[in-house]
Amino acid sequence: MRNAYRILAGIICVEVVIQAMAVVFAVAGLGKYITDGNVVDKAALESEDLEFTGVVGFMVHGINGMMIIPLLGVALLVISFFAKVPGGVKWAGIVLGSIVVQVTAGLLGHDAPYIGLIHGLNAFILFGSAMNAARLARTADAGAASSPVAA
Amino acid sequence: MTEEQPAPPAPQVLVAVKARWRQLVAIAAALAIVLPLAWMWWDSRMPGTYSVMDMGYVDAGGGPEPMGSMAAGHAGHEMTSVADLVADPGREPDVVVELTATQGQVTLASGRKVDGFMFNGTSPGPTIEATEGDLLEVRVHNDDVGEGISVHWHGVDVPNAEDGVAGVTQDAIRAGEDHTYRFVVDDPGTYWYHSHQVSHTQVLRGLFGALVVHHRDATQDADVLAVTHTYGGTRTLNGEEGVVTEDVAAGAVVRVRIVNTDNGAAQAWTSGPFQVLAVDGRDVNGPTDVEGQRVSVPAGGRYDLEVTAPARVQIGSTALVLGEDPGEVPQPREKLDMLAYGEPAALPFDPTDPDRTFRYSIGRRPGFLDGKPGFWWSINGHLWPDVPMYLVEEGDVVVMEIENHSGEVHPMHLHGHHAVVIARDGKAATGSPWWVDSLDVDNDETLTIAFLADNPGIWMDHCHNLKHAVQGLVAHLMYSGVDTPYRLGDDSGNEPE
Repeated sequence: MRNAYRILAGIICVEVVIQAMAVVFAVAGLGKYITDGNVVDKAALESEDLEFTGVVGFMVHGINGMMIIPLLGVALLVISFFAKVPGGVKWAGIVLGSIVVQVTAGLLGHDAPYIGLIHGLNAFILFGSAMNAARLARTADAGAASSPVAA
Repeated sequence: MTEEQPAPPAPQVLVAVKARWRQLVAIAAALAIVLPLAWMWWDSRMPGTYSVMDMGYVDAGGGPEPMGSMAAGHAGHEMTSVADLVADPGREPDVVVELTATQGQVTLASGRKVDGFMFNGTSPGPTIEATEGDLLEVRVHNDDVGEGISVHWHGVDVPNAEDGVAGVTQDAIRAGEDHTYRFVVDDPGTYWYHSHQVSHTQVLRGLFGALVVHHRDATQDADVLAVTHTYGGTRTLNGEEGVVTEDVAAGAVVRVRIVNTDNGAAQAWTSGPFQVLAVDGRDVNGPTDVEGQRVSVPAGGRYDLEVTAPARVQIGSTALVLGEDPGEVPQPREKLDMLAYGEPAALPFDPTDPDRTFRYSIGRRPGFLDGKPGFWWSINGHLWPDVPMYLVEEGDVVVMEIENHSGEVHPMHLHGHHAVVIARDGKAATGSPWWVDSLDVDNDETLTIAFLADNPGIWMDHCHNLKHAVQGLVAHLMYSGVDTPYRLGDDSGNEPE
């Protein structure tokens, strides 16, 4: 269980990195598409048919952010109850909490761009707390391995 | 000797008890999270087929909830089937049109080829023209569209059986099958038709066309259609790209009928002054010249503008040039507010004393939609299919407050009725009665609309950003005493969204 906790926390870290990469890929691609003379308006954005390098980044960001990462966060919290990682439940809670903040800020940011600043900042909080959770599990593992096991 | 004391429990036993307790607490905590989620997932899954009548909960809007509504139809009241709500079957049609739907490679007027759907081999499909008062008969044949089609007459307040919503007012027309629509077009104006079966792909990929109902006494010198659609991310005007030129004499007064068939609003502005003659097939009372402003045509909406040639009507990245091109004009920052445009006029009913008042509050929240986890649109706090079924009786004056807290604009489309917008965020309208069937509701905005329940049936009231309809932004307006024999669901073959 401790391994599962560590691995899941690690996957969440990787997912946050993928999210950052995907959205920058998409925004850069959109910028280039416009620079090349194409026009993007609400109808084009909603048509699901935009064809520019990086458009897949928006899809990845949406599916990861609104479906996969929240499920991973819930799974981490459930596993934390069994993983016996010191502080493990608390940090899984912090991870899940920052996922909630992240999705909320992401969605609200569609209409209020300043909230995008929070979305960007909170990504680091989410990454950091997931990293810390993984580290705690590794430390607990190392501690368990080095201390003599009671007979 | 002293009495024998019970021996203190051995440390190993204490540890074991503690460990057991910890495990129990862990299991309880895990179940407290997993069980509700599992229940929500299970509960969200839809049966293979179901009736729209079984969806959600009845919202009577403060009006009576008569016997004979919903499942209580057997309580001694005669139920009317939507299939029987038709135009006068004895009347001869004035206009007969044949439409054949196919799928495959569409060659647009611009020469570009896209994969999609066509009516009579083209997209947009043929423009249907009639004059006010005509009975229109449209014979539809589905040649080879495998998932089936239907035809919805967007903005025409047709009898319910002709509304073309697969699974609600008819079964989808399968490949090889025919279906005939008959209805009278009493209100002159600009409309369009499109499939309402798997509409989020079929409309996007071309299964639509324009429907123009001419005034008997049109005063303009020319009448030009501007159907805008985005194929493969590129906006087109009547299938053309860029600048489309119409040969019109200088000085001619032209009616430009803008039809927005996309999922998002289209911005339109002109080189010189313009007037908004009509919105969504309803004339504006006392239109005045507009300069330095643009109009925003919601998804599904239509705006009829009057301009004097030579003129350039810019619609997003495309332009309609009438006569000699006056050249590009920058997009005005300011949007024309239809709530304050034109002259006030008396309404045919009194919205200050409604029989029913409904709330249609759009939000967004996490949950499961037919088993799929995600962040979905909610209506009055509930996710589809647990959405309100707005119940009315024929003759009711209905007020509906549409609120949006979802973070995105929603172009709301009520079938079978035209509603008048009476207020925005509590501020009353000051212009011409602004009649709509397709209305953009911005984020953090409340629009109050009113309509007369004068067209019995079961009517969709949904977001015309058709992807949002798939994501659960669909409710229905239901007349008491009306039932439908058609079914929805994965196994029904009907998928209106």
